[in-house]
Order: sequence, then C-alpha cells, then structure tokens
Amino acid sequence: MKKIITHSEKQTLSLGKKIAKKLIGGEVLALNGELGSGKTVLIKGIAAGLGIKKHITSPTFVVMKIHNTDSHGKKHGLTQTGAKIPRKSVLSLHKSVYLCHIDAYRLSSGQDLINIGVKDWLAKPNTVTVIEWAERVKNILPKDTIVIKIKLCKKKNQRIINLMGIKI
Amino acid sequence: MIILGIETSCDETAASVIKTSGGKIKILSNIISSQIPIHRRYGGIIPEIAARAHIENILPVIQKSLEILKNQKIDLIAVTQGPGLVTSLLVGIETAKTFSYAKKIPLMGINHLKGHIAANWLSPISAISKSEFLISKQIQIKFPALCLIVSGGHTELILMSGQTKYKKIGQTRDDAAGECFDKIAKLLNIGYPGGPAIAAEAAKLKTTNHKLQVSLPRPMFNSPDSDFSFSGLKTAVFYLVQKNKNILTNSKTKNEFIQAVCAEAQQSIIDVLIKKTIQAAEKFKVKSIILCGGVASNNELRKQFEEKIKNLTTKINFYVPERKLCTDNAVMIAMAAYFQYKNMGTKQIKKLQKNFQKIKVNPNLEI
Repeated sequence: MKKIITHSEKQTLSLGKKIAKKLIGGEVLALNGELGSGKTVLIKGIAAGLGIKKHITSPTFVVMKIHNTDSHGKKHGLTQTGAKIPRKSVLSLHKSVYLCHIDAYRLSSGQDLINIGVKDWLAKPNTVTVIEWAERVKNILPKDTIVIKIKLCKKKNQRIINLMGIKI
Repeated sequence: MIILGIETSCDETAASVIKTSGGKIKILSNIISSQIPIHRRYGGIIPEIAARAHIENILPVIQKSLEILKNQKIDLIAVTQGPGLVTSLLVGIETAKTFSYAKKIPLMGINHLKGHIAANWLSPISAISKSEFLISKQIQIKFPALCLIVSGGHTELILMSGQTKYKKIGQTRDDAAGECFDKIAKLLNIGYPGGPAIAAEAAKLKTTNHKLQVSLPRPMFNSPDSDFSFSGLKTAVFYLVQKNKNILTNSKTKNEFIQAVCAEAQQSIIDVLIKKTIQAAEKFKVKSIILCGGVASNNELRKQFEEKIKNLTTKINFYVPERKLCTDNAVMIAMAAYFQYKNMGTKQIKKLQKNFQKIKVNPNLEI
C-alpha cells in the first residue's frame, strides 16, 4: 500500500495522470471516499492521462458512462499532451482506449451492475474501468482490483490517498 | 394526428396522448406514476427498484392514458430512447416496440432532452378531464433560441436555429445542477429530491443573525465559455458543515443555519445558471431564451431569470414551461415526436413502420 498526500486539486489531478500511465488495460480501479473528497477530480486526471479529451461528467444519474480516445499519438510514443508513453502502457498497446466510468452511489449490490451490462467492459484489454463508491459492489470486483481510498483531511484541499495494487 | 408518448428514462413512468390538427394541440391525457416516495428512503433512485416499479406501472399507465380514445386509431408511438438509466429506459422501449409490432403503428425513438425543450411550445395545462381538454395553440418562439436544460442528469446550453436544429454550445464539466441539489441535500440530511427540499428550507430563511451568514463560491462565474461546474460547490458545502459542527449540534441554531446554507447554495446555482445563459445569449444574438428540465420548476430560478431578462437592453423573449411540464412527463415526448414527424419526408415516414425491429436504448444519447 502506498500513501500519498496531495495539497491541491491540481496535485490530485496530476496523480490521476500518473496512475493512468501505469495502466496496461483491463484493470478495474475501485475508488472509495466521501461526498466531496475528490473522486471526480482523480478520475478526470486518469482520463486526461489516457488521452481522453472530452469532459468527464458525473455518471451518478445514468450509473455508467463510456468514454474513449480517438487514435492518439501512439506512433511517436507520445500522448496528446506531449508526455512520453511508457512502453507497456495501455496507450502504447491499443489504438483506441476506453474508460468505463461507473458510479455505484445508488446501487445496492454488484448484481445491479451486471444487469446494466458491466461484464461487457470488465477486463477488456483496451478498457480501464473506474468504479466510484465501489464498496457497494464489492461482490463482483475482480481479485486484482486496484483499490484507491481518498480521505479528507482537516486542512482544506488536503487529501490522503491510499493506493493498493498499483505501484507508481 | 394522434400520438402516444411513453417516458421511462428515470423514476417516472409516464404516458400521454396528444391530438394535433391545424397548429392546435389537444392534450387528451397526461398520466404520471411517480416513484419518488419509493426512492426517498434511499436518498436517490435505485436503478433496480426503479426498473421493477416501471414494469409494474407501465401497462396500467398506458391503459389509463388510452381510455379517452375509445376506438380512435393511434397514428404514432413516441418513446424515450435516452439519455437515462438503461434498466428504466428498457421497460419503455420494449413495451413501445411490442405495441408497435402488435398494432402495426409506426414507432419513433425520442431524445429525452429534445422532449424537455419541446415542452416550451405548450401553453399551460389548466384542466384536463374527460369532458374538457386543453386546447393549446402552439406557442410561436422566434429563432435563434438559446435553451438551458437543467435537470438531475443534465446542465446544457443548446442553441436552436430552427424547430429541429440543435447545437450544444456548453455543458457541465462534472455534476449536473439537479445532482448538486441532491448531493447538498444529502450532506445536510434534509431529504430527497434535493431541489424542492433545498428550495423549501431556503424560503424559510429570515435570519438576521450575522454569525449564521454563510457564503459559497460561484463556480466558473467569470469564465468566458458556456460551461458549468457544480462538483466544487458540494465540496464547499461539505467544508462549511465540517467547520460549523457546533452550530449544527445546537438545536437552537441548527435550523437557521441549514436554511442559510440552502439559500446560499440555491442562490449560487441560480447566479451561475443565469449569468452563463445570458452571456451566451448575447454572444449568439438570440431572440429567445428557453428554460426547461426538472430544475426549471424551481420558483426562485424562474422568477430571477424572468427579471434579469426583462431588464436587458436588447429585447429577448423568455419562455419556461408550466411547472407540471418541467419535470419528466410523456406529453413532451409526444410533442417532440410531432415536430420531428412534421420535418420528415415520405420515405422517412415509411421507415417508422419497421422501427419496432430497430430502435435500441442509448443511455448516453446526446443532442
């Protein structure tokens, strides 16, 4: 487990980008943290790191939203922002990458997710799945799920972020 | 022509029959079976429960909406295709497809958001009963028109250059305005749906106690684009609650504090919505501003919008549907279908016959 402390929205965002660079595709990321802890911000960072340009709007209402990259600068080994892609990153392995963004806030069990077709996306090699409020659907998460816990601190804008199952 | 509209995108099971002839629209029925009391317990819609309730409601609701027709033939079935909760949408779509196939009635899939917009062309429903129908003259709205859709799942600015010509020019970058209301209400523990709960608390505010005055940010108020952001506002409320825990545990000050937070949060959302809409209206030199979606039923938002637009130097007309037609209903779905149908060629109209084989749900459908 790795503990990281961020001090601003910007730092949380760039942590997301860093996480994205370590992904090879097929991962499931479970995100836990209270209302207002910054889950959206971290996911925005992950999406940006994957090269998704569109706004990542909240999936609370529709439960699941799928985003994808257009073909990115894979040929040059560079992302759209000009950063170098690590050789084994999901970006270097696939032409187009999907981000499956789920909000389990209103779900009662993993069966709810299965009913809306989540199995089409879990563990797909070119897809990264991020689940907010994942503790509610624990029963369907794969064993190698990357668990990220965000805690609000007393100090404004400070967050303690615990990462399990990923090295960055 | 007679159109049956079916709507199940979220928590309302709704069906409506409208009759159009010569620019006049009669609403023959408008049936809504709301599931909100079921979801109140959970502080939000639970998809699985919503879908089950839709299944129980859909046939009785449709049947009730059709009672008025006796033996008249339905010319078109219109059903919400998306955006919304996939499990909820499926119930409406599958029912509509079956009906279309069995009765050989043409079928049209409708974008829920275009439905909300279409509600603006209806004048207020005063009375719908068996003997007395609303006969509404179609309102004439001048284009270009700017449309602000605000609901639990959406906050979007749409530029309309004609009745069926839509272009998205801005949207929320994170949470929708209605979602922000819901989440703040949850943080303050005052009930669901959040919009009406917050509005009610805000209306009670009479405090002159300066210690209880609060201030919240106006996210993206000064940005030149037409986007919104409401995620940070909820976080700001979270910190406010944390900081004032002693006020909230004191039964004397608790209520007043909650009222103050609600009033300020509501005002913050209203300020941003109005500012961004008027900014875009001036940029695109529109002739009309249209407000729609569930949040458009908020009294303060309607009132302040109207005042601000009235005081502009350039004349812009302001439209907002009657409150009943702001929240999800099936009249608006039938209306949107009517406008779409009017714009179709004979070939496209013929294709509607086979739609029962083709129409699919699209929970992420965009305008």
